[in-house]
Amino acid sequence: MNFDISEEQQLLQQSVERFVNENYDLATRRKLVDSPQGYSDDNWSQMAELGWLALPFDESDGGFGGNQIDTMLVMEQFGRGLVVEPYFANIVLGGGILKQSSNLELKTSLLPGIITGDVRLTLAHAEEQSRFDLDDVVTTAREDGDHYVLNGKKSMVPNAATATHVIVSARTGGGQRDKDGIVLLLIDSGDLDGNHFPTVDGGRASELSLDNVRVPAERIIGDFNLLAKAAQDAVLALSAEALGCMEVLYKSTVEYTQEREQFDHPLSDFQVVQHRMVDMFVEYEQCKSLLYRATLEAVQDAPTAARTSHALKHLIGKSAGFIGENAVQLHGGMGMTEELAIGHYFKRLLVIESQFGNTDYHLTQFAD
Amino acid sequence: MEIDLSPEDFEFRQEVRDFLKENTAKPGADYSQWRLDYFKKAAAKGGWDVPKWPVEFGGPGWSPTQHYIWEQETVTASLPWDMPFGIGMLAPILMNYGSKEQIDRFLPDIRERNVNWCQGYSEPGAGSDLASLKTKAVLSDDGTHYTVTGTKVWTTMAHMADWMFCLTRTDDTGIKQEGITFLLIPMKQDGIEVTPIITLGGAHSVNMVHITEVKVPVENRIGEEGKGWTYAKGLLQHERTGLAGISRSIVALENLKRQAQSVPRGNRTLMDDPAFKSKVAELEIDLLAVEFTELRSLAAAASGDDPGPESSILKLKGTEIQQRIQKLTVEAGGIYSAAWGVPVGHKFARSGMQGYLGGRANTIYGGASEVQKDVIAKNVLGLKRS
Ligand SMILES: Cc1cc2nc3c(=O)[nH]c(=O)nc-3n(C[C@H](O)[C@H](O)[C@H](O)COP(=O)(O)OP(=O)(O)OC[C@H]3O[C@@H](n4cnc5c(N)ncnc54)[C@H](O)[C@@H]3O)c2cc1C
Repeated sequence: MNFDISEEQQLLQQSVERFVNENYDLATRRKLVDSPQGYSDDNWSQMAELGWLALPFDESDGGFGGNQIDTMLVMEQFGRGLVVEPYFANIVLGGGILKQSSNLELKTSLLPGIITGDVRLTLAHAEEQSRFDLDDVVTTAREDGDHYVLNGKKSMVPNAATATHVIVSARTGGGQRDKDGIVLLLIDSGDLDGNHFPTVDGGRASELSLDNVRVPAERIIGDFNLLAKAAQDAVLALSAEALGCMEVLYKSTVEYTQEREQFDHPLSDFQVVQHRMVDMFVEYEQCKSLLYRATLEAVQDAPTAARTSHALKHLIGKSAGFIGENAVQLHGGMGMTEELAIGHYFKRLLVIESQFGNTDYHLTQFAD
Repeated sequence: MEIDLSPEDFEFRQEVRDFLKENTAKPGADYSQWRLDYFKKAAAKGGWDVPKWPVEFGGPGWSPTQHYIWEQETVTASLPWDMPFGIGMLAPILMNYGSKEQIDRFLPDIRERNVNWCQGYSEPGAGSDLASLKTKAVLSDDGTHYTVTGTKVWTTMAHMADWMFCLTRTDDTGIKQEGITFLLIPMKQDGIEVTPIITLGGAHSVNMVHITEVKVPVENRIGEEGKGWTYAKGLLQHERTGLAGISRSIVALENLKRQAQSVPRGNRTLMDDPAFKSKVAELEIDLLAVEFTELRSLAAAASGDDPGPESSILKLKGTEIQQRIQKLTVEAGGIYSAAWGVPVGHKFARSGMQGYLGGRANTIYGGASEVQKDVIAKNVLGLKRS
């Protein structure tokens, strides 16, 4: 049994941690969030230079050859810093799908640009009726000679405004909730109409309309299985990010309640406050264990990996709610302010809860 | 014990319904004019503008059942905007502890909603432990006025208020509950500086208020110097009863059900989802109970008792229920709850997230839930702590 990470992974973790410590104080982040683009090009270039954008790709493709453990290390630190650069949309979702695509031509043409940060991808899978079901797709892809013609609407697409390409799930055949007949296609962002807006955590998302968008058939990246696999990795990555947020939340609460005095005592003297924070800590540790378990199972491609990832997102959702709400509660009025960091971590956790299936959704998937 | 409405109650309910129907805002009407008109008409009905006030101060003298009916009928009606600070919080203090002059001076404006009040209790160092407040009030040698200096925080609507009712410290030699003095301070004057505090929902309702050497005539002191804590404590109970918002939660839960019915889930709707449905049902069950807890406390109040420590139960349970409804609304919004400030996807998702974030304060203000539990432990269960 060994839960140690390799020396290489330690270096990676430290370098992300350093990046976060140096670039991500709350005031700087606030400026990024308020800027039109929502993140920093400089940070993005720095991530490229540090090799993080190459992290999951095979060495033969110019990548770093990393697996889900490496992504976990990065995302956890990003969670600690509330990093807003589109790493998740781009590298975890877009890169993750492309990496596993059997469309080698597309892969070789795009990967170099992804690694330098010039090609930026995102994934558009959700639709108004689909809620969290990946296979509930009504966007159509009609075959027309050597092209497909796409029509439909996609919802809550992360970082689409700054993406150069969008991977879209669409239906070539089958019924609304059939897994068969779903394809993933790569579309130039310029071919899409977008309504771009901020998310509650300071991120960016878009509603996209596809109105007779013509896409060459060689832009097919994969099928539903690839989407499902990407969603499973997305759950791992988001859970790691959430873990980073939860760590900051429980630790700042422990710190704050020791400093804040009421009734001539630090708040942390009250037993109910102590026990509450112990519960927060226990939830955090439980999430960490399950994150390790799910991530290792994914790396080993264990038959239970999918089910464990459902367990993980469920537990993360439940614990994030508990930890986030109680961090605010125990900070009192201060916890309610935009000024303090904890509210921002709480809001990031709320958005993670809405991404790739919420607590209830994953419980049902796990139980079924 | 009896819960059926009597024929008179039915008649009363009809009268309320007719009144509310006649007095909804006409499309295009000037809002502030309509608002003031509404309260005039309600006053003409015999105290319907101040349902909770005692008869001797112009209240309607309703039975608990009539209060209950009024709550039920008004919660769905679009009544004009009203703040609790004057009507619900300061007025009972004035009635109980104010002088005749003060009552004559302040009560009519409060009743007619001419003047906005804010509550200046909390300070940076005095939140849950309110009695540790430090805003200093020094009586002049000639005994005509106090000079007040200090900082109040979380003051809701201070930026729109004409007056603040304020707890100040006039003596710091004894135990901290003593030496607190209740003053009424005009807001629009030099020496009062109001700074906005933006809260998680992005809203500006609370403020920091810096008070620097503001002179307050002794005529603006309620009751005796040093007795402010006693006056404020009674008022806190009133505040807490008002914060439970049970009827509002009943309506909110019905809205939630409708919203969930508009959310597709497979072939059906979210309201058919067993997990979601049971959470809604659990809320409904809690509401059935707490609605009666409120009625029991109304009945106690009608028999002349002050709202006692039982009001802590209402605040505790009522705010918890509010937050659970808000959380379920966010859950119903699904992916769209993450969108900020724009209407995308399900129509209710936008306000759902705002409501949830803002609603986190409900278990903090008016006495944090943990403190409410202390009150119940001590005053109701008679428990001591070392
Ligand atoms: C939106 C909003 C509006 C408000 N409006 C007003 C207003 O108009 N006027 C006004 O005067 N004040 C107002 N307040 C202030 C409010 O009353 C205080 O926030 C509240 O009393 C808590 O004080 P605090 O924020 O200093 O938290 P603290 O007292 O620092 O407490 C922080 C947390 O610690 C815990 N805690 C505290 N004491 C104990 C204990 N003894 N045992 C166990 N746990 C404990 C609780 O979880 C509490 O939430 C408002 C607050 C908010 C958030």
